[in-house]
Amino acid sequence: MKMKNRIHVVFILSLLLLCSAFGAAEPGGNGDSLRDMQCGGACHGDASINETSLAVLTLSADDTIYVGIPTTLTLTATNLETSSSRIIGLFLLTDMTGHSDTPQDAGWEILSDANGGAVNYIERTLEPGQNETSISWVVRASSLDSTTFYAAIHHGGGYSTPYFGSSASGLEVSVQAVPENLPRLAADFMPPTLRTIDTPTELNIETQFTETVQFEWKSEDGLIMNSVVNTSGVNSWTTTIPAALQPTTVQWRVILEGEGPTQTTPWFILAAEESSWEVEEGAVYLQAFALLFMTAGIVLLFQTRLTKNPPVSKYDDTSIVAASLALGDVQAMPQPTTTETTLAPIPEGGLPNGWTEEQWEWYGHDYLAGKYGGGQA
Amino acid sequence: MISSETFHVVTTELVVGAFSVAGLCFSLCLLVHLGILKQPTWASALDHVAHFTLAFGLAATPFAILSGLSSAPGEGLNSPILVNKMLLSMTGFGFALGCLISRWRLGKRVWGSKKSISLHGASGLAACGMMLLTASAGGTFSRGESLLDVFHLPYEQVLLFPLLISLISLLLGVTMLVIGWKRMSEISSIH
Repeated sequence: MKMKNRIHVVFILSLLLLCSAFGAAEPGGNGDSLRDMQCGGACHGDASINETSLAVLTLSADDTIYVGIPTTLTLTATNLETSSSRIIGLFLLTDMTGHSDTPQDAGWEILSDANGGAVNYIERTLEPGQNETSISWVVRASSLDSTTFYAAIHHGGGYSTPYFGSSASGLEVSVQAVPENLPRLAADFMPPTLRTIDTPTELNIETQFTETVQFEWKSEDGLIMNSVVNTSGVNSWTTTIPAALQPTTVQWRVILEGEGPTQTTPWFILAAEESSWEVEEGAVYLQAFALLFMTAGIVLLFQTRLTKNPPVSKYDDTSIVAASLALGDVQAMPQPTTTETTLAPIPEGGLPNGWTEEQWEWYGHDYLAGKYGGGQA
Repeated sequence: MISSETFHVVTTELVVGAFSVAGLCFSLCLLVHLGILKQPTWASALDHVAHFTLAFGLAATPFAILSGLSSAPGEGLNSPILVNKMLLSMTGFGFALGCLISRWRLGKRVWGSKKSISLHGASGLAACGMMLLTASAGGTFSRGESLLDVFHLPYEQVLLFPLLISLISLLLGVTMLVIGWKRMSEISSIH
């Protein structure tokens, strides 16, 4: 390869490598999910390409946290800078190793997050000019161990640069045993996080040591409303949240009264979304295969029409041979004549001067007939 | 074991990478064979790379489709984008299949005349284009954006045929495939 070509190749490869660095961040976000810190490298590419975020992350929790009872962890993020998409991704973690560091790994359940899911990584789109935000997770401890929680952030910046930041220090949370007769939600109660719009939501709430329940909910405007609660058995309650007319979130909580001290649950988030899109899957699969065969068939058919056949040679006896083979009639096939019968008899004095045997094989007859070399033999 | 999401990422990267190279090589092949790019010595290498990468991408496509279906949130085809992904990828699969069978059965004669060159190159490029559109729809579905957003493609609209039309198209497609195959067998049996 010439030096000039080599320089071209090196230049192109260098350009491609530079492009990969520019495109490392995913400006559209990756969606809410259960993720380890830095998404295990799946969101912003390799950790080494991240710039350090200037965002300040502060975690806070309730003063008293009981095992098996939902509690709220709140993350306040300030001094936020973002890319033009204004998307930030926020993590709730239990260590900073980059793997097995979700609350679930430390024995905590996430019951609801700020976006109407139940995951530790959520994305938020900030309003223009907004440089701080606050979000909450409702979590539940499964053991009495103390846990240190951390927060982290992913966002973009100028020139598509990916940024990563984390809370300066962890928030240590101590879990206490539940006092006797404390009114509370049942240990296996899982709050719903999603509902469809235009449909009222009937909530079934299971409790323990509870005699009365008061139900409160609020929409995004923050106005707190009450709903009637009916009992459907011992420690079993039902209530209804009115239908949402558009994809919004409501928050709800219950105030539980019994023999023990009155308890108020965290605000659980319930997101409303459009009813899921439906299609007859059989029709889709049939159409998909129809398209596959149609396109393949059209290509083959037109290709055979447009591809020129090779010119037929007058020496091509393929059809005769094929027909004979099909009939099994070997005798009918033109038999090659043996060398002995086609070879011209060698003159008594031997081969003419300067002739080889091969030449005689091909031109001997012509020589004997006086035709070789225009009759000058 | 890896999750179906990770497996889908792996297979789609294989498919998109292979089809991208195939698309580039088919484009250059077209330019060389139509005499626009005056590099006749490249023709053979481009031809081989284009078809090999197309075959490789084709082999990975079923895995990408199946892992995509199992990794999508919810159950089944619950989004118009997923339906469009399925239809686009199967159409691309068909173009690629037709292109590869043509090259296999007809050999280098597919590059023999201007019309044949145009059709073969177009079918290869159509396969690549369909796969890249599928990948773009995937990006729109999972991240809400893709490189092709500048074209404002209607991924949310689904053109679904009535069952009868699909069935007739399927039978028609199979018939054309069989006729095409037979014709190719007749042509290729001479040599």
